Amino acid sequence: MTGGRRARRSGWVHRLVALTLIALLIVTLRNVGLLDPERLVRAVRNLTIFAAGLFPPDPSTLPTLSGAMLETIQIAFAGTAIGFALALPLALLACPLLFGPAITAPVKLLLALVRTVPALFWAIVFVVAVGLGPAAGTLAVALYSLGYLGKLLYETFEGVDPEVVEAVRSVGCSRAQLARYALLPEAANGILALLLFMFEYNVRASSIMGFVGAGGIGFYLLGYIQLLRYDLLLSGLLLTLVVVIVIDRLSALARRMFLIPVGSPAPAE
Amino acid sequence: MTADRRAALEASDLWFSYSAERPVLRGVSLTAKAGEITALLGVSGSGKTTLLKLCKGLLAPQRGTVRVLAETVGMARRGRLDPCVAYIPQHLGIVRNLSVLDNVLTGALGRVAELPSLVRRLPAPELRRAQQLLQRLGIGHKADDKVYALSGGERQRVAIARALMQEPRLLLADEFVSQLDVLTSRDILTAVRGIAGDGVAVVVATHEMELVDRYADAVIVLRDGEKVLDRRAQAESIADLALALRR
Repeated sequence: MTGGRRARRSGWVHRLVALTLIALLIVTLRNVGLLDPERLVRAVRNLTIFAAGLFPPDPSTLPTLSGAMLETIQIAFAGTAIGFALALPLALLACPLLFGPAITAPVKLLLALVRTVPALFWAIVFVVAVGLGPAAGTLAVALYSLGYLGKLLYETFEGVDPEVVEAVRSVGCSRAQLARYALLPEAANGILALLLFMFEYNVRASSIMGFVGAGGIGFYLLGYIQLLRYDLLLSGLLLTLVVVIVIDRLSALARRMFLIPVGSPAPAE
Repeated sequence: MTADRRAALEASDLWFSYSAERPVLRGVSLTAKAGEITALLGVSGSGKTTLLKLCKGLLAPQRGTVRVLAETVGMARRGRLDPCVAYIPQHLGIVRNLSVLDNVLTGALGRVAELPSLVRRLPAPELRRAQQLLQRLGIGHKADDKVYALSGGERQRVAIARALMQEPRLLLADEFVSQLDVLTSRDILTAVRGIAGDGVAVVVATHEMELVDRYADAVIVLRDGEKVLDRRAQAESIADLALALRR
């Protein structure tokens, strides 16, 4: 086949793929109801009413919301800590630098199964198990964090410089010693970054745990929506926004203070 | 200590290839004696690193045998031989986020009790020995520094100290001075000379002929995976070595 004919055929294939994708998108939009003009007009009208109801925000419930926000942060903090404590040993068991596939494969499967279930579903499960309140939310966040931190941690361990691992292994040490003296210190930066990310993420996730009675500010946010008190809702959302920004800043500060420039080249002699 | 001149390493007729088409090593044999520095000389891609990895047992040869301290190296025996054979990879393999002292102490992990070591409870004699090694190599004052803050030459010394902490009978070092300036390289190799003087067999892969001329007792030249020269270093001039490398 000549170069020109091949280029023309490739062009046709590209156009065909693009047209197929556009057709798929149109069908999907219609199926989810977003090509219904009447519905779109109604949505705009409802959103206008909703937006008008948000302002001005009513600060009268801020003392109550602040207490709930503190509970949300505590759920995120304790959940992240418990999740990390469970994820770390499982991530080491899932690391192929330490164990063979007979051990890593089942552990990876277990982590994938835990990850498959959304945080809100875990919250419902734990509300059933331990009753309404922040204990259920904390356990839900812990389990959700376990699934994600487990995967992200073993991927971090897999990314450790293999020469370092081989050099330490070759002194004749055990697997546990290899993890303690090579994998964990070499991956320390990645571990800290993941922990901070997970905590930030969990603060956001914990703010909706209250939707299913698992504690935190979400209980009040859902109540304000159901009572059509959008002005109180906006106060709660603004409080959440402020807390998230503060945590972002604190995380950035922690990164600057504790992340170590291990990748930097050796200083000159 | 009187140098023991028995062979610590005997590799014979080693063949190895990463892919079916092109063998990286073709029938290479090598002997390294206790108390001597054997230089493995060759340009990049000549098979030096692969040969060292075969000697350490990190790779298994497709043909041929490696005997260390009269034992055949194989995956089953590697655990037992590991503490006796120190290996310094090309980029040193030191843990950048650990202190200098902790890096050196990792050399003792093969012989200390496992559980206490996990909480960094190591026997006092091991701590003293690590500190003595750092003093001997001139970086005793940096014991508590993190490795990432050290210069290239200091990092080399940490890698050597860790290797010595193993109390090895054989030290395999892969191009570990190639990125240093001439003066630092000489300092490091003088330290290695002292190690060999203690009865350790040292095999150093390098492509720097001047270092061979000055420090090695024996030289083996590899070219395209084949041994093209195996002589006592004193018998070879730099011009002879250069000729062997390029012929």
